[in-house]
Amino acid sequence: MDMPGIFKRLIGTKPSEWAYVVSRVRVMSRKLIPAEEYNKMLNMELDEVIRFLEESEYKKEIDELGFKYQGLTLIDYALSLNLSRAYSKLIRISKGTPRDLISAYLRRYDIWNIMNIVRGKMFNFPSEEIEATLIYAGEYDEEFCKSLMLKETIEEIAKTFEGTPFYPALEKIVRVCPMSEFEDDLYKIYYNGLAGIKAETLDMKYFIDFIKMEVDIKNIKTILRLKADGASAEEIMTKIIPRGLQISEDEARKLAALEWDELIKSLEGYWFWEGIKDSVEGASLSKIEAMLDRLWAKKVLSKSHSFPLSVLPVMAFILLKKLEIDNLRIIARGKAAGLDVENIKEQLVII
Amino acid sequence: MAEVKPTRMELIKLRRRIKLSKRGHALLKMKRDGLIVEFRDILEQAKEAIGGMVEKYNKAQEKLALAMAVEGVVGIKSIALSCATEPEFSIKKKNIMGVVVPVVKREKVRKMVQERNYGVIGTTARIDEVVSAYEELVDSVLEVAEIETTLKRLLEEIDKTKRRVNALEYRVIPEMENAARYIAFRLEEMDRENIVRLKKIKAKMETK
Repeated sequence: MDMPGIFKRLIGTKPSEWAYVVSRVRVMSRKLIPAEEYNKMLNMELDEVIRFLEESEYKKEIDELGFKYQGLTLIDYALSLNLSRAYSKLIRISKGTPRDLISAYLRRYDIWNIMNIVRGKMFNFPSEEIEATLIYAGEYDEEFCKSLMLKETIEEIAKTFEGTPFYPALEKIVRVCPMSEFEDDLYKIYYNGLAGIKAETLDMKYFIDFIKMEVDIKNIKTILRLKADGASAEEIMTKIIPRGLQISEDEARKLAALEWDELIKSLEGYWFWEGIKDSVEGASLSKIEAMLDRLWAKKVLSKSHSFPLSVLPVMAFILLKKLEIDNLRIIARGKAAGLDVENIKEQLVII
Repeated sequence: MAEVKPTRMELIKLRRRIKLSKRGHALLKMKRDGLIVEFRDILEQAKEAIGGMVEKYNKAQEKLALAMAVEGVVGIKSIALSCATEPEFSIKKKNIMGVVVPVVKREKVRKMVQERNYGVIGTTARIDEVVSAYEELVDSVLEVAEIETTLKRLLEEIDKTKRRVNALEYRVIPEMENAARYIAFRLEEMDRENIVRLKKIKAKMETK
């Protein structure tokens, strides 16, 4: 449960340790929906899309949840369940260091679950509603999350986490800090833990660089979002994750102090600039975010091809699986909401 | 007319009341016209506000559909858990031509991203867009509620004033004028009777 503990054991990982996991992941990656299928799906009616999903990898989850949900809600929950199962499988098929590393990365879903349980408890939402938001893809399983939901108060929930890296954030929320600060703190703890490992072997360096690049993407999104909303540099800095690859705290401080136009200009030279430079002018923030996501996924995929016996193919699969789930949901919900094909296509991240 | 005492004093009183009623009638008529003008102005505002609200609702629905598609129902539900605070507002009063109408003093529901109850790192700009759209919609609903209540109060007042004007114009003043005419007629009649009586007494005295 203790992240630094896990990382101590990671030092000295050999590429051969990844061979089994990577070969299993390759098989799993082959089952991902290919890019050209999305174009076909875009031209289908909603019923056809649902039928397509019922005949695909998602059949099992759709059949399983069919008695409880229907229509788009069923698709939503089936996709979430499939995602958590795919990630759990990754943990199941790996052992030793790769398992610890994958588990540590997937702890973002633990954060997601903790956040939703605390939110639900804080605003007195019924357990069923809280449960509907949980994704069991991290270390904490359904049983543990249900036991958290049974706790009467936030203090009791916080106590359960004593001795874990998440405890300081939970202890803070007990002392009535804003919910937003608590959530951001959890993510900071998560990324700090992952990016703070000393890279003593090459494959560890790949992993840390991967995390740091993800931190860069998160930080630039935060800066752009808050800047567009008129936040001050100090306010932006409270939401910055330290230890980015190029956007460190100092860099972030410099960027946060700039006006919007200067900020966009000064992004030249960052590793992500090439991918967004042509369309960043006048684009909405959500579109810039989608561009960054697309660029990030492409980058990870190309890196995974360059370093096949490392953590990167697994990270690429984790990312691509999430993108597939998102894409399928966008198509299904977009069709149901009557959005036109072009609009739906704009939101898709197809690699 | 049986209950009306045909006395000069009563006639004077009635004439005074008729004069007062006519003045009141003119004032109420002016108030009614003023209220109608005010009502029309607010009606225009209401049309604009309702139009804006419908537009904002459609925009918010569109954004929600897009956010549901991209973030999933799970993501949106999760954010909704943190946006459970209710808008705060107080009701004050404003006087329009003697009509007390409510003024909703509302705290702006629209918040900055960093002031919201959810974290920035774990969410996306699409969430911000849909939350902003709904915050604007709630602001707009409160504005429409304020204008609609004002309109309802004004309409009630116009109706009341209209009834008063009509009652004065078609019932109270004509009745009082009839009564005054009756008293005047009765007084003249009494005068004439008196003259006749005096003439008869004078004739009797002359024949004696």
